[in-house]
Amino acid sequence: MPVAREPLPAEAVDVAVIGGGINGTGVARDLAMRGLRVALFERNDLAFGASGNSSGMIHGGVRYLSRSPHVTETSCRDSGYIQRIAPHLLFRIPFLMPVRHSAQGRIALELIDAYFRAYDDYQPLKRGEPHCRLDASDLGRLEPGLVGAVVGGITFDEWGVDGARLCVLNAIDAMERGARVHPHATVETVSRVPGGHPAGKRYVVEARDRRTQARIGVQARVVVNATGAWSPVTAALGGLPQLRVRVRPGKGIHVVLDRRLTNYGILSEAIDGRQIFLEPWQNVSVLGTTDDDYYGDLDDVCATSEEVRYLVQGVARVFPGVRTARAIGTYAGVRPSLYAYGRNEDALSREHEIVDHGPDGAPGVYSMIGGKLASYRLFAQEMSDRVAARDFDVQVPCATHTRPLPGGEAVLDAFAFADAQHLTPVAARRLVYRHGTRALRILERADEQPALRHVTCPCEPVLEGEVRHAVREEMACSVEDVSRRTRLGLGACGGMRCAARCGQIVAQELGLPPSAGIRMAGEFLVKQARTRIVALGPEQARQEALSLAHVRASLGEP
Amino acid sequence: MTRVIVIGGGIAGTGAALSAAKAGASVSVIDGGPGASTLATGALDAWPWAAPGASIAPVDRGVHDVLDALGGHVVTARPARLVTTAGVVRPARGRDAGLLDLDTTATAAKVVGVVACVRPGWDASALAAAWGDAAQDVPFIVVDATVARHTGEGDMPDADFAARHDDDARLGWLADRLREAVAGNAGLLRALVLPPCLGVERARADALSERLGVRCGEALASPGGPAGLRFEHAKKRALSSARVEVVEARARGVSRTAVGWCVDLEDGRRTEADAVVVAVGGLVGGGVEYAPGEAVLATALPPFSRPPFRLVIDAPLPLGAHGQPLDLPSTLFGVAPEQLAWPAARDPLMDRVGVLADARGRVLPGLFAAGELLADRSRTWLDALATGVVAGAAAAAVNAERRARSSVPAPPIRP
Repeated sequence: MPVAREPLPAEAVDVAVIGGGINGTGVARDLAMRGLRVALFERNDLAFGASGNSSGMIHGGVRYLSRSPHVTETSCRDSGYIQRIAPHLLFRIPFLMPVRHSAQGRIALELIDAYFRAYDDYQPLKRGEPHCRLDASDLGRLEPGLVGAVVGGITFDEWGVDGARLCVLNAIDAMERGARVHPHATVETVSRVPGGHPAGKRYVVEARDRRTQARIGVQARVVVNATGAWSPVTAALGGLPQLRVRVRPGKGIHVVLDRRLTNYGILSEAIDGRQIFLEPWQNVSVLGTTDDDYYGDLDDVCATSEEVRYLVQGVARVFPGVRTARAIGTYAGVRPSLYAYGRNEDALSREHEIVDHGPDGAPGVYSMIGGKLASYRLFAQEMSDRVAARDFDVQVPCATHTRPLPGGEAVLDAFAFADAQHLTPVAARRLVYRHGTRALRILERADEQPALRHVTCPCEPVLEGEVRHAVREEMACSVEDVSRRTRLGLGACGGMRCAARCGQIVAQELGLPPSAGIRMAGEFLVKQARTRIVALGPEQARQEALSLAHVRASLGEP
Repeated sequence: MTRVIVIGGGIAGTGAALSAAKAGASVSVIDGGPGASTLATGALDAWPWAAPGASIAPVDRGVHDVLDALGGHVVTARPARLVTTAGVVRPARGRDAGLLDLDTTATAAKVVGVVACVRPGWDASALAAAWGDAAQDVPFIVVDATVARHTGEGDMPDADFAARHDDDARLGWLADRLREAVAGNAGLLRALVLPPCLGVERARADALSERLGVRCGEALASPGGPAGLRFEHAKKRALSSARVEVVEARARGVSRTAVGWCVDLEDGRRTEADAVVVAVGGLVGGGVEYAPGEAVLATALPPFSRPPFRLVIDAPLPLGAHGQPLDLPSTLFGVAPEQLAWPAARDPLMDRVGVLADARGRVLPGLFAAGELLADRSRTWLDALATGVVAGAAAAAVNAERRARSSVPAPPIRP
């Protein structure tokens, strides 16, 4: 590891966390709760990578049941904890698993039924319903869009979550407990303090703000690399051997359809036998997912039409309506699966692992490798336990599973809130979903400033007060950041009706010139158009042509 | 009398019908209801306004005649300068009469007032800052005024709110409120910008300006606002005074008869004419459809390979781009959409695809295409109108041309 150059940065913290995904924000929150001073650096935005582009589920790990039931148990238990700390952010997604008619169809159904009977034992841990066995007519009644000869099927229960919000809430909670969070700050070097004492500040982490080019540096005793698929890149900055933190980046894409096409999530088999699904998620349906080795730029991951066709073909086999449904976008992320050579992507472990860089000559530097959204809290706890005990001799136990995330302290009645605040029930319901009790704070001054109640994004909907809140309280710096936190511009109009207005508000809040707001709106619209085009269908084509005409007419040539 | 049928009641179809009627033809318009023209924003462009190399094109006589007949649209020798609700100041070749042109009045007063009122997405101080920043030579100030008279008007959609100012008494009420707001400062103000709200039957900007003594107008807003509805009203008035028959129906197909052309309607009716102008719109208007092979796919392979776009009506109109007909792709699944559309593709087919026709819009003798439906044209208001005007005039002249051709003496036979 290189030696830091004088002068050393003035700011000193206990732990520097690199990476603003769910692992980074999760560990920052946990450490901050134990009284440690934390600084977090994120190269892009919070939840920019895999955490903000997942299938949006806190699942119970049903697939691990046969080989490692303890993983299923801890997953289910953690799902229960996350419901306790963020009750507003979770929603039930019941799934249907149709079993196709074949020579082994009946036996397959028996086996699946038995398998899920075993899973039922863990459901109470996450307030899930036990599974149900269904015959073909039950399936047709529950989801009339299903086709094909089936022998029956089963239902099982999972929970959906907005992964980006989960990240943001962890980051905010960490900040409210004293952590410093720097989004859009790319770490450029991790170096050793000359003559650093093991009990003192041993490392210097230096970052550059990618928007202002300002330099931010801290001294820290411990450094945690939680950069997911970027992990080897980050390790190299500190002169650490990349092979020790090697991951196998696996790209996964999702297609977003304009409405909830079904009440149940539906499992299906892709052409290569992989399991894929169509799920009702918030106010849209999501089709997922692929898993392919990825060698490209991690800052610019995009779905391709090939991947979209693969998913649509696979789900259309049991639910043909997906072909004529209107796709309004796609999103893509890269999983940081544990490295293995010679194995199929799906057979890779989704387990997590802490790499201690002590043997590499960097005691107190750790990398968090692998993991999944559903078990982030547990992974953060394991990491924090290790740091607290080994590097700081702090005995405070983990409390991330008992103390609520911001807004999760109580459950707010959205309809009473709608009446009190003169909002439409839909707008109130969406606001309360995202912010829980903090919805009250967002509209607390709405009587003096009625514009806070104005709808900025009519598709979602998102209120002006929420956009301002995202900038003031949630570290959003651009239209894209606001969109990640609020789903602004991700509806059917693709941002055509809200991006410019959102840009105005962001520029106002940040004290930027109005042209900066217009520019960030344009950037958002171009980026969104790129994600939509790969899933272009007949109906959406007309909207695309209109959007382009509109963007040209009101903002200028993109 | 030459009989002309125009399919499509948008900008191009209206241009074709009015110019054919002016040329003495008996004209019917088959109008399938609101389309892309109903979404017009009121900026009359000849090119996408910020396209590289775009300059201000002269507008020819025929287009001016149709604009005069249509009313409510202003195209002068000088371009207009519009302010948009996105916070941009931009040039346009012309404008809907409800929109404010920053340069209309060269008065000593320099300041433009932005009316601060409660309307969705309207933040007067943000807009004043943005426009002031963009316009450089014109300072904008915020003028506080009440514009909503009844509860609920603050959240009402623009078009519904604008309809209230079709009423003279309500417009008078608005003028009174604005007069109170600018009291004492009227002399300083060059103009007042309002959110889109000044009428849907016709633009009330001039009437309001007259009452107030200060030039008033709307900012340019998103598609779906009052300007598009004002076009619909202007069109109905102009077609009726030109004695053009309007048939509210959708056309299914166009086919040749022994002497001319016939149009089949979806309700089973059939009409005949000497010439037909097809102006059913392109991708936005709904005349051209994106139709990848996989859209018909159930579980097996798509039944055939086909070009990614198709015409929605059954007519002998070849689709193409760059002057060439569309190719059949070597895949049953259709071309990858990344290759077809902005922003992934450069000069994308989606922006160009349309009917291949000559400079007058003629595809076959007596069969014309116009507007957004044409290939390789810029998809703008004035271009649609100009191609409609040209095609309409040519359609009205088909009989005369045919006679001229048949009366040409046969060439002498040389030994």
